[in-house]
Amino acid sequence: MTSIEFRNLRKVYKDLVAVSDLSVVVESGRITGFLGPNGAGKSTALKCLLGLAKPTSGTCLLNGKEYSDLDHPGKIVGAVLDSSGFNQALTARQNLKIICAANDIDDSRIDSLLELVELSKAANKRTRGFSMGMKQRLALAAALIADPEILVLDEPANGLDPIGIAWLRDLLRDLAKQGKTILVSSHQLAEMQHTVDDVVIINEGEIIASGPLKKIIGKKTLEEAFLALVRKK
Amino acid sequence: MRFIKAELLKLLYARRNYGILLGAMALSSIGSGFTPYALSRVPDALVNPLTQSAAVDSVYSRALGAYILTVILGVLVVTSEFNQKTAIATYLAAPKRYQPLVAKIIVASAAGAIMNLLATLVGMGVAAYALSFYPEAVAPSSSIWISNSLIALLTGAIIAIIGVGIGSLIRNQSFAVTIALIWFFIIDRLLAVLFVEVGKWLPTGLISGLENLKFNYQGPVVHVSSTDYLDPWPAAGLLTVYGITFVVLSLLTTTRRDID
Repeated sequence: MTSIEFRNLRKVYKDLVAVSDLSVVVESGRITGFLGPNGAGKSTALKCLLGLAKPTSGTCLLNGKEYSDLDHPGKIVGAVLDSSGFNQALTARQNLKIICAANDIDDSRIDSLLELVELSKAANKRTRGFSMGMKQRLALAAALIADPEILVLDEPANGLDPIGIAWLRDLLRDLAKQGKTILVSSHQLAEMQHTVDDVVIINEGEIIASGPLKKIIGKKTLEEAFLALVRKK
Repeated sequence: MRFIKAELLKLLYARRNYGILLGAMALSSIGSGFTPYALSRVPDALVNPLTQSAAVDSVYSRALGAYILTVILGVLVVTSEFNQKTAIATYLAAPKRYQPLVAKIIVASAAGAIMNLLATLVGMGVAAYALSFYPEAVAPSSSIWISNSLIALLTGAIIAIIGVGIGSLIRNQSFAVTIALIWFFIIDRLLAVLFVEVGKWLPTGLISGLENLKFNYQGPVVHVSSTDYLDPWPAAGLLTVYGITFVVLSLLTTTRRDID
């Protein structure tokens, strides 16, 4: 079953073509790596998917609907788009309470989620003093707060130490086992090789490869395959 | 309702907003607390102004000066989202872009009205206390507390909405706050006194019209009297039109721009 679909997505900023004719289908219950060099158009495509940027043409669908047509998008899609996206004057708990209120979600899950992302001790601390890794964990808690079926994660491993990265890998695998669909963009190719089922590789706004990880990389590592594809283009 | 609840939580959790409230109370109190002293020292006055009911009313009306801080409240309601990068979380929760903005407008206008009312009440209390030091001061108009409270509610709400509009147009928080302060603290006030033909159509001039004070000042540079300003009802109507205009501007800019 299709959870996420980009149909001929094109996004142009003035003279810059950020995404050009992007068509991808992400299947349910799988972890899909969304890979590409800096400026490839990954974040722009994800913003279009989540209704934060208007496509110049084409559409992005979640469970067959555009984001703006979802009644309670927060209950269907959880997203990590910017690790510093919390009010730094408020505590971790207060930030999550606001997200619960905006999404009409019971805030009783806050404590268990803070425990899941190992931030229980920092729950009542202002996020101003949080490290990058702590902000990433809090962002993941926010994305998971409504127990959504789809997760869209933009560079979720940024700022995490090796233990944190291993923790994130286990978390994503657990979530995938629960049947959740996960679209994750990352630069950490070695780590992605151990995490994802499928990959979509884009460069200069265009898809250069997509499909099951094993089929795309063959006997190479993901990094070798990625570099070969990007250089070939 | 969920967006209103979220915006209300943001407002209540942020300690900065309590600072703005205290600032508004201080501004009102300073204005109304020092005016009796200033009026009692008017040079060449044939009669002590404080023996005139209109002058005493003007002391109470100085308590309305805190509306300037409600514009800052409105600006911050929008720009802090972009400054703190929480706009993404806010708009991810909303299938339609206008929904959180409408919630912001409702919450900012209610908070602006309440903040301005509290500041005005405190300021009028300070006015009464300050006037008690001048035995010659006559009593104010019987309706001054009620009329100033109503003006405070209306102006607080609408000026906060104008702040939301400014914040939607200028997302850079420092720039938006600076522009709002320069306009309301300096330009709007100067226009309302020095170029009253223009200023009477602008917020400060309209608020002067709402106050409905009777005065006639013919100084060496400034010549201004209460008859120069609009009557209270047209002033209230035009101020409301400003509010509606800024609501429309906010909606147009927010729904058309990408969220970063």
